[in-house]
Amino acid sequence: MELDSIPEHARKRMDQIGAGDLVVGILAQNGQVDAIPMIREALQTLPGVPRTVVIQNNGAPRPASNEAQAADHNSAAEEQPPFVVSWRLSASDPLTVPVQNMSEAYDSIFAAAEKLGARACCVVASNLESLTSRWISQLTQPLLEMDFDLVTPCYAHHKFEGLINSSIICPLSRALYGKRIQNPMGPDLGLSGRLLEKVVGTSSLAKAASNRMHPLVSIAPSAIDGSFRICQSHLGTRLYPATDWTNLSNLLAQILGPVFLGMERNTVAWQKTRGTQPVAVFGEPAPLSAEMGAVDVHRMLESFQLGTRNLQDIWSLVLPPGTLLGLRKLAVLSPGQFRMPDELWVQIVYDFALGHRQRTISREHLLRAMTPLYLGWVASYALELETAGGSAVEQRLERLALAYEAAKPYLVSRWRWPDRFNP
Amino acid sequence: MWNQARQALNESMGRLLSQFVNLLPGIVALIVALLVAALVAWVLALIVKRSLTGIRFDQRLAGWGLPLAEWSPSKSPTLLVTRVVSWVVILIGFLIGLASFDAALTSQLVHSLFAYLPNVLGALLVLLFGNIIARFLARSVLIGAVNMNLQYARLLSVGVKWLVIVLAVAMALEHLKIGAGTVQLAFGILFGGIVFALALAVGLGSKELVTRSLEREASKPSTEAVEEPFRHI
Repeated sequence: MELDSIPEHARKRMDQIGAGDLVVGILAQNGQVDAIPMIREALQTLPGVPRTVVIQNNGAPRPASNEAQAADHNSAAEEQPPFVVSWRLSASDPLTVPVQNMSEAYDSIFAAAEKLGARACCVVASNLESLTSRWISQLTQPLLEMDFDLVTPCYAHHKFEGLINSSIICPLSRALYGKRIQNPMGPDLGLSGRLLEKVVGTSSLAKAASNRMHPLVSIAPSAIDGSFRICQSHLGTRLYPATDWTNLSNLLAQILGPVFLGMERNTVAWQKTRGTQPVAVFGEPAPLSAEMGAVDVHRMLESFQLGTRNLQDIWSLVLPPGTLLGLRKLAVLSPGQFRMPDELWVQIVYDFALGHRQRTISREHLLRAMTPLYLGWVASYALELETAGGSAVEQRLERLALAYEAAKPYLVSRWRWPDRFNP
Repeated sequence: MWNQARQALNESMGRLLSQFVNLLPGIVALIVALLVAALVAWVLALIVKRSLTGIRFDQRLAGWGLPLAEWSPSKSPTLLVTRVVSWVVILIGFLIGLASFDAALTSQLVHSLFAYLPNVLGALLVLLFGNIIARFLARSVLIGAVNMNLQYARLLSVGVKWLVIVLAVAMALEHLKIGAGTVQLAFGILFGGIVFALALAVGLGSKELVTRSLEREASKPSTEAVEEPFRHI
């Protein structure tokens, strides 16, 4: 599929290497951190030390001592494993580039892993400063030792980190596809050779039909739909990229666009799914970081109120009158009383997904117009959990996930009969 | 003398009657043409209405952002298209009926009408696209400005919308050759006036307002520092 996007020198290098049991893709770039020693350390914990190929992104300069650079020029025969292949996987750093732009990088790694006939493939896209050998072993062990097909990550994060995932992606994916996966879109994950084959095949077909989808969006639904074995691994702390507030609407549009598109492609799969099941979890959960104390949500509330004043015309194209009324009532509350009910938030997400499907307005406009609503949810969540501890946060997110599940019949009904009266 | 007067009266009556009799077929033809055109228009309108309703024309137009609904009777573009089709057919029927009176006059009328038609179509297209672009830009500006937390988001959006609409109307009028010079001049004055007024407002009139606004922005604590705990991806 994406073999064409792999440069000639990298393809020659892969031909030299021949085959690999395990392919580790390192998407993130960090001039100060060398991932190879960590991978080598992780390999010692795996049974029979698999023949490993590391694919590195060399879009940014790395330390001169980096073995990868030297390894590129050596023949595979002289080299000590893991074998390293590096090329420019993405033009920029994946930590700052929206997920959509990383699509080709993931596809290239998957294509390379398939070419090498890998039994397992893991991709690390998070900041390398948080990478430890444990990450690699936790992502690969279930694939190589326990015959799992997909390993998704569980991170030890602060309650206000990974908010798009907590508020939309995780509970939406859980309600739609019926598996309780904490981070269905990774970005760090492990795939078996079998799943890899399916993902690569699906992506090739999609590309041929020129309707390709972001691989991170399609991996978990593909695995669930194909009855592949899925598990989660606790990786530890992840360093989340800092928020660029001026670019938040762009970020939201780039993440939610593929998610909503995925809903359209997998309609049959999620409409027949009833209820949810937990998936196997490996590793010890790391404790959550310390309390942050009071948070300032003034800017987010201001954005929500400004949106309520000015974007009613646009929202009314996708949201029913009852939801709009709820938003108007919410906008006049003082910060102390400001709480967005889960039912309201879930209905907003579902209605935006429906609006995206029906193309009621330009999809770009639709997704960007969701930003003040999302900030309203974040503000409400932050105010509610300002002083809450770890278990309270988990309970809160569980309540939200249940609200998504409870409202699924509404989504299914409106998806099937969009013109039906909706108060 | 009475005989002569009676004869003159009879002759004028005869002339009038013969003229009327000469016109009668034309009038009948006009009425028939109008009746047939009305019948055809009704049938066509029915077909068009059913077809457009079948393909959910109104919803599709709304989805594409075309602003036809606002200018349509009962806010239904389907109804607008149906009525336009009916009236065009009736107009054609009227022209056909008119041709039965004086073919030369009608052909001259039709010729000048058709010669002007490209201008009308061009102007309509300019207006339509101008409107679509204006609405699209206005919506983009509104969403962008709200996401940037600008309090005057709506004002910006409306300003952009009307600037583009005024530009489109000026272009359409020029296309129609209606007061070309006047329109150009008026547009120049209006556009230049708006820019000049804005420059004056910001530069002089709103000097203090802008100063206060800038001071407020500068005195705001750094966003990064305040909202640091929030990580979205």
